[in-house]
Amino acid sequence: MVQPVIAFQDPLGQLPPQASTFAGDVDELFYFLVWVSLASFGLILALLVYSSIAHRRKTPDQPALSNTTHNTTLEVVWTLIPTVVVMLAFAWGLKGNLDQQVAPADALQYRVEAFKWGWNFYHPGATTASEHIYVPVDKPVKFTMTSRDVLHSFYVPAMRAKRDVVPGVKQIVWFQPTVENGPLLDAAGQPQTDAFGNLIGGFDLFCSEYCGDGHSVMHRKVYVVSQEQFDEKPWDLLPEDPVGRGEFYYKLNCVACHSVDGSRLVGPSFLGLVGREGRHTDGNAYTADEAYIRESIRKPMAKVVEGYAPVMPEFTEAQLSDEAVGDILEWLKTLK
Amino acid sequence: MTTYVPDIEKAPEAGSRKEPSYLDVTKGFWSWAGTLDHKRIGLMYLVGVTAAFLCGGILALLIRLHLWTPDGAIFENAVYNQVFTLHGVFMVFIFIIPAIPASLGNFVLPLMLGAPDVALPRLNLASFYLWLTGTIMAIYSILSGAVDTGWTFYTPYSLQTQQAVVSMGLAVFTLGFSSIFTGLNFIVTIHKMRARGQTWFKLPLFCWAIYATSVLQVLATPVLGITVLLLAFEHLYHIGIFDPAHGGDPVLFQHFFWFYSHPAVYIMILPAMGVISEVVTVHSRKPLFGYKLLAFSSISIAVISFLVWGHHMFTSGESEFVMLAFSFLTMLVAIPTAIKEFSWVATIWGGSVALTAPMLYAIAFLIIFAIGGLTGVFLGTLSVDIHLHDTYFVVAHFHAVMMGSTALAFFAGVHHWWPKMFGRMYNETLAKISAILILVGFNVTFLPQFAMGSQGMPRRYATYIPEWQIYHQWSTVGAVILGIGFALMLGYLIHSLFAGRKAAANEWGGVTMDWESPTPPNLYNFDEEPVVTGELYDYGHGAKH
Repeated sequence: MVQPVIAFQDPLGQLPPQASTFAGDVDELFYFLVWVSLASFGLILALLVYSSIAHRRKTPDQPALSNTTHNTTLEVVWTLIPTVVVMLAFAWGLKGNLDQQVAPADALQYRVEAFKWGWNFYHPGATTASEHIYVPVDKPVKFTMTSRDVLHSFYVPAMRAKRDVVPGVKQIVWFQPTVENGPLLDAAGQPQTDAFGNLIGGFDLFCSEYCGDGHSVMHRKVYVVSQEQFDEKPWDLLPEDPVGRGEFYYKLNCVACHSVDGSRLVGPSFLGLVGREGRHTDGNAYTADEAYIRESIRKPMAKVVEGYAPVMPEFTEAQLSDEAVGDILEWLKTLK
Repeated sequence: MTTYVPDIEKAPEAGSRKEPSYLDVTKGFWSWAGTLDHKRIGLMYLVGVTAAFLCGGILALLIRLHLWTPDGAIFENAVYNQVFTLHGVFMVFIFIIPAIPASLGNFVLPLMLGAPDVALPRLNLASFYLWLTGTIMAIYSILSGAVDTGWTFYTPYSLQTQQAVVSMGLAVFTLGFSSIFTGLNFIVTIHKMRARGQTWFKLPLFCWAIYATSVLQVLATPVLGITVLLLAFEHLYHIGIFDPAHGGDPVLFQHFFWFYSHPAVYIMILPAMGVISEVVTVHSRKPLFGYKLLAFSSISIAVISFLVWGHHMFTSGESEFVMLAFSFLTMLVAIPTAIKEFSWVATIWGGSVALTAPMLYAIAFLIIFAIGGLTGVFLGTLSVDIHLHDTYFVVAHFHAVMMGSTALAFFAGVHHWWPKMFGRMYNETLAKISAILILVGFNVTFLPQFAMGSQGMPRRYATYIPEWQIYHQWSTVGAVILGIGFALMLGYLIHSLFAGRKAAANEWGGVTMDWESPTPPNLYNFDEEPVVTGELYDYGHGAKH
C-alpha cells in the first residue's frame, strides 16, 4: 500500500480500534477530512466572531464599512479550494471502496443468516449455526449473507465493514482481521462476562439497518484468534447433553426476545414457562404444555399471549429441527 | 436615498393608515378559515407547522430521556420505535417541508414581488386544507394502531407491520399534494406577478430560493406520491413490487423513496438559505456578496439534488460504478454549498453588523450549517461512508442540516418578519437568550452523537451498550437545553402579540419591497402599486460592483 506523504492523526480520538486491513486507509481519510473540516470551520467561525465584534453597529445610522459585492479572485479561490478537496476525498474514498467491494479468491467462506432478531453464523464446513463468529488472524474472510424476513445490516465497526442483508438476494461482505482478540475464557473454558453481562474480548457486531423491536439486541461478537486456535474449531460448541443443547439453541434463536430471569422483553419470559397458565389475545385460556410450546415455535401467530405484540417469526424445520425443539423443551423444564 | 434609521417613536399610529391592515379588515372565524389572502393563509400555516414542531419536539425529548440509560429509561422497544417514527414523520412531512415555503414564503413572497397576492389564491387555500387533512390522517393512523417503520417506510418491514402504515402512507400522499400545490402556485407567481421594473436579477434571493424549491416540489413530490401508493397496494393486495416474498425488490423501494426524499432535503434547506440571505444583508446593512453566484448556486443545487439519491444506499449492494457516480455527484453539491457559506460570511464582513435577535439566529445557522455541510463530505466519501452509514454520525449530520439549519433559518425568518406580520415586537433580550440557548443546546446534543457515531453506535436503537452511555447523557442534557430555548421562544412570541410594543414601519431598515408595505400590510398589501427603479439591496450608499 502506498504510504501517504503526510500522516493524518486523529485529533479527537474517536474511531474504534483498527482491526482490519481496511481500517488504516479509512481512518487516514477520515482524519484528513477531520483536519480539513476543523480548519474550514475554524476559519468561518473566526471570521464570523471577528466581524460581529469589529464591525458591530455602534450607532443606529452607521453605514457598512465596505460595500463590495464582488471579488472575482476571492470567488474563484473559494470555489476552487472546496472543489479540489472534495475531488480528493472522492478519489481516495473510491480507491478504498474498491478494496472493500472485491473479496480475494482465497477468502474463507462463511454463511450468514439474519432474522428477527438474531444471526446464525455458519463457519466454513459447519452444519450447525453458531452464536458468535471466529475468524483466523491475517486471513481474508468472506460472508455470504441472506435474510429470512426483513432488511438487516452486518456491521463490525472495528473492521470498518458493513453490508445490508436483503431478503431475496445474497449479499457479500469481507475483511481481513489484523489484530487477535479472542474470547477471554475462565478456568473452566467458559467465556467471561463483565459487570454488564457482556462477553469480554472480541469485536462488536451490530445490526445497523432498522428491523423492528429486537433491532438493538442483534449484538454479537467477532473473535479473532490465531490459526492454531482456529484449527480447533472453537465455534463447534454443541454440548452433548440435551439441556445444554437446548440452552445453546436458545442463545442462537430466542435470546433477543425472551428473558430467563422473568423480565419482560419483546416476548414473555421463559422463566417458569412450562406449565404456565394465561390468556391469549382472543381471550382463550392456555396452559403451556409441550404441544403448545412446539406450536408456538412453528406457528407463533396462531396463538399470541395477551399483552404482547404479534411479531414472532415462524421457525421452520429447516431453521430449527424437531430434535432441537425437543432439546429446548428439556432445557425450559429446568427454568423454574 | 439616505441611510435608514428605524425610529421607534414614529411607530404608525392607529388611524394614520390609508386602509385597515389585513389583520383588521375582517373579523371572525370564517374570515380566516375561508380566506384567500396569502398573508392569512401564511399565518394559518405558521400556527400549524409550529404546533407540529411542538409535537415533534416533545417526541424528541422523550427519545432523548429514554436513552439516558443503556436499557432504555422509559419505553418498551416497540413503543420507542413508534415514538421515533412519529418524531420523524411529524418533523419531516408535517413541519419542515411546509415550514418555510408555506408559512414565510406565503407571507413574504408576494410582498417581495410587489404583488397584491399569489397568482392562484384558491389553490393556495386548497393547499392549506390538504395539509390539514394530511395531518389529521397522520394523527388518525397514530390512534388507529401506530406506525413503527421509521419515517422512511423501508420495505419489507413496512409490509409486515401493522395496517396503520397504509393510512400513514395516504397521509403522506395528501401532504405531498399540498406541497405540489404550493410549489406550482409560487412558480406562477414569480413568473407573472413581479412588479414593473423587477427583472429576474432584481429578485431578492429569498425569491430565487423559493423558486428553486418550488421546481423541486413540483417535479419530485409526485414520485413520493406514487411510491407510497405502491406501498399501500403492496401492503393490501401483494402486487409484488417491493416484497421479495411476492417477487418484488425491497431495494427498488429505497430507490423510489430517495428519488423524492433526497430532493426533499433541498426542498427543506433551499428556502432556509433564502431566509438567511435576506436576514444577513438587512442586519449587516450591506448588499449580498456574490448575488448572482448565490442565485445560480440555488439553481445548481436544485438540479444536482435529483442525481444523488443513490448515496443513501452505499451499503445496499450497489455496483462499484453506481457508487462511483453517486459519490462523484454528491461531492459536486458540496461546491455550491460552500460558495453560499462563504458569500454569507463575506456579506457580514465589513458590514454594519447589528446583533439583533434575527441576526443571532442567522449566525447560529451559519455555524451549524458549516458543521452539517462539512460532515456531509464524510458521508459522500465512499470508504468512510461504509463505516459511518446508519450510525449516529448520520443522525447528527442530518439534524445539523435539518434542525440546526432549516429550523433555525425558519426561526430567524419568523423573528425577522414578525414585526411586519403582526405590527408588534417581541422582547428582544429574551429572544437573544433563546437564540444562544438553542445554539449551545444544539451542539451539546449533537456533537456527542458525531463522536459515538464514528465509534459505531447504530441508529434507531432502543437500547445500547453501556460504553456509549456518557455520550447519550450529554446528548440528553443538550436536548433539555434546546427544549428550554424553544419553550422560551414560544412564550415571548405569544406574549408579544398581546403586550409587545408597536413595531416600527420598517423595524430593521430592510430595502426590499416587503418593507415598503404598511406595517402590518393592507389586505392587498400596498397603498400604491410599487415600481422597481433602483438597485437591489441598496442601503443608501451605492453598491460597488
